[in-house]
Amino acid sequence: MTEIAGKITDTDVHCAPASIETLFPFLDGYWRSYVTDANLKLSPTFGGAYPPGAPTSAKPEARAAGTFPPDNVEALRKQLFDTAGPSRAILNCTTSFDVSRNPYYETALTRAVNDWLRTEWLDRDDRLRASMVVPTTDVDAAVAEIERLGPDRRFVQVLLPVRGQDVRFGNKRFHPLLAAAARHDLVVGLHAWGKVASSPSPTGFLHTYLEDYLSNTQIVQAHVVSLIVEGVFIRFPALKICLAECGFSWLPSLLWRLDKEWRAVWREVPWLKEPPETYLYRHFRATTEPAHLPPGDEQLSQLLEMMRIPEFVMYASDYPHDHGDAAGRLLAALGEEDRARVLSGNAADFYR
Amino acid sequence: MTTAQIRQRTAVLDADIHPAIPAARLASLLAEPWRTRYQTIGTRVAPPPAFYPRVRNGGMRLDAYPANGIPGSDLKLLRDQVLDAYGIGYGVLIPLQSHTFGAEQPEYAQALCHALNEAIRQDFLDPEPRLVSSLCVPHESPELAVAEIERYAGDPRFVQVLFPGGAQASLGHQKYLPIYRAAAAAGLPVAVHTGGAEHHRADGWPSFYLEHHCWFGNVMALAATSLVCEGVFEQVPDLQVVLVEGGISWAAPLMWSMDAGWSRLRQDVPMLRRAPSEYFREHIWFSTQPIEEPADPKHLAMALAQTGMADRVLFATDYPHWDFDSPDTALRALPKDLRERIMSENAYRLYHLERP
Repeated sequence: MTEIAGKITDTDVHCAPASIETLFPFLDGYWRSYVTDANLKLSPTFGGAYPPGAPTSAKPEARAAGTFPPDNVEALRKQLFDTAGPSRAILNCTTSFDVSRNPYYETALTRAVNDWLRTEWLDRDDRLRASMVVPTTDVDAAVAEIERLGPDRRFVQVLLPVRGQDVRFGNKRFHPLLAAAARHDLVVGLHAWGKVASSPSPTGFLHTYLEDYLSNTQIVQAHVVSLIVEGVFIRFPALKICLAECGFSWLPSLLWRLDKEWRAVWREVPWLKEPPETYLYRHFRATTEPAHLPPGDEQLSQLLEMMRIPEFVMYASDYPHDHGDAAGRLLAALGEEDRARVLSGNAADFYR
Repeated sequence: MTTAQIRQRTAVLDADIHPAIPAARLASLLAEPWRTRYQTIGTRVAPPPAFYPRVRNGGMRLDAYPANGIPGSDLKLLRDQVLDAYGIGYGVLIPLQSHTFGAEQPEYAQALCHALNEAIRQDFLDPEPRLVSSLCVPHESPELAVAEIERYAGDPRFVQVLFPGGAQASLGHQKYLPIYRAAAAAGLPVAVHTGGAEHHRADGWPSFYLEHHCWFGNVMALAATSLVCEGVFEQVPDLQVVLVEGGISWAAPLMWSMDAGWSRLRQDVPMLRRAPSEYFREHIWFSTQPIEEPADPKHLAMALAQTGMADRVLFATDYPHWDFDSPDTALRALPKDLRERIMSENAYRLYHLERP
């Protein structure tokens, strides 16, 4: 994206259709009757991801507006753009994340979400960009969707849920999807939450929302390691990955561990030519929310020394979600030039 | 001072040595009908090396294979290569076979774990006073696990209760509470070691041992999160938990994330009366091997200081595995006083052992 001087690019803004019927114009007769016959509704909690009452699910202004995430572009303008907001925002719609295990339904639903995003959002405000969603249970269909929408430059990312894939995203099964994204210069966004049929922990369902909420920061690390060691960045050198709403302060520890182990058992992945850390900083970025920061300025400067935050992190409001004010604290701790990179420069370089 | 004298003074305690009990020896200690079942059918739960082959010397130190048998089965070799070689004060045995045995059919699991405990007692602890051990329990059958804990409560050489990172549920699940209560009542920590039944319902299956091994850190982070957030440390205030072979430097960022989440979601966890990091700091211990290795060595000391838990870190060799850490060369990046506490003092305090 071209950088607009002094302006902010918001890399994670949520919207969602108010009801499944909103998507009917974009579903064919078979799927409309399927939805009606099954009495399907959109999950009011997004499959447990955002219980409406949870303080993390909505900022006060979003709560005051009544419907969150915003379900129409007018509402988003009022809540985000009109209040000293960003000059550009990337829409992430996670409505299809928690769908059933039927791959044909997932294909129809993701396609409908994308057409709704196009018609109701991208066509109505040129400050908006969007992530397309694709079915993860049918990689061929995902590739077809990327080919269909890739030429529309307003789509800048392919959004995938981190939770509940049977294999990790670096696995050979996903290579055609990753290749298609790279071919169109689309970033692959790995976003928190996912398949509701799969538990948030490796061993099963948990008893607190707090654990579910935190699990995304662990699960995403599995995909980071997988994408690096399976060699996808050697196969697809143009591939870029954004880690959205999964935190980032876990990175130093993960890299220290992965680099050490790669040096010991490299023979298992002989295609890796450079240390994992090199692939990480070349191909990955993360969004600022939620920022899990240490207490105190001294430890925060240590974190800034341990990882390359000014080049790795991209600003996101994660509107309407509310993770507290840590990201503001992070921005305040950066020098002017670094802050500008996080607020817009990094996103401008990363997204087409 | 000679090297021997220095070693005597520091008296390293090795918190992770893996003994192995050969199948024939195990069978000899099983009562019927379990012996016949073991010899004719075997066991059902697959251990991770069965599907993530260790592509580094078969997962073992090359010189750890005895003339006859499997690494970890020969006490003489263990003495030569660990206890005598480094003047170890005490070594804590962690028999990994119980990780999967403990998930078998309840009575069978109990019999297998009991046979392991007896083999450890007779073949390692009785002849070698420098060894202490973890107690193997049928962890998926908590009532029987409690019985095994009570059975050995009078033997001070069993210094902790062993639990796999790969249990059938998250470690904070209430089904495991009787085990935690019994361990705490017996004054024993629970040691969670990586391994056991492998699950990837959230993260998806990895393809390589490299990923599987890297994920150990996350397994420990998830285990600790579960224990803290589900309120286990409120329910069993005396419980101490040692996270073995999962690294350490993830702990500070985990505490930041738990506290950040908790500060906004307190109504979800009314059983927690304090910030998650407070429970974590008061109940969790770590072993060192394999410790993370930052490119800039001073970052390791920094990461440890961020945890505020340097007095709860235990040195471990992980003998006889391929990634063995030598007491002579490990942790040299750390300041001397910190290193000495980790090599020795912290573990003596946890296990109530007298320095030789």
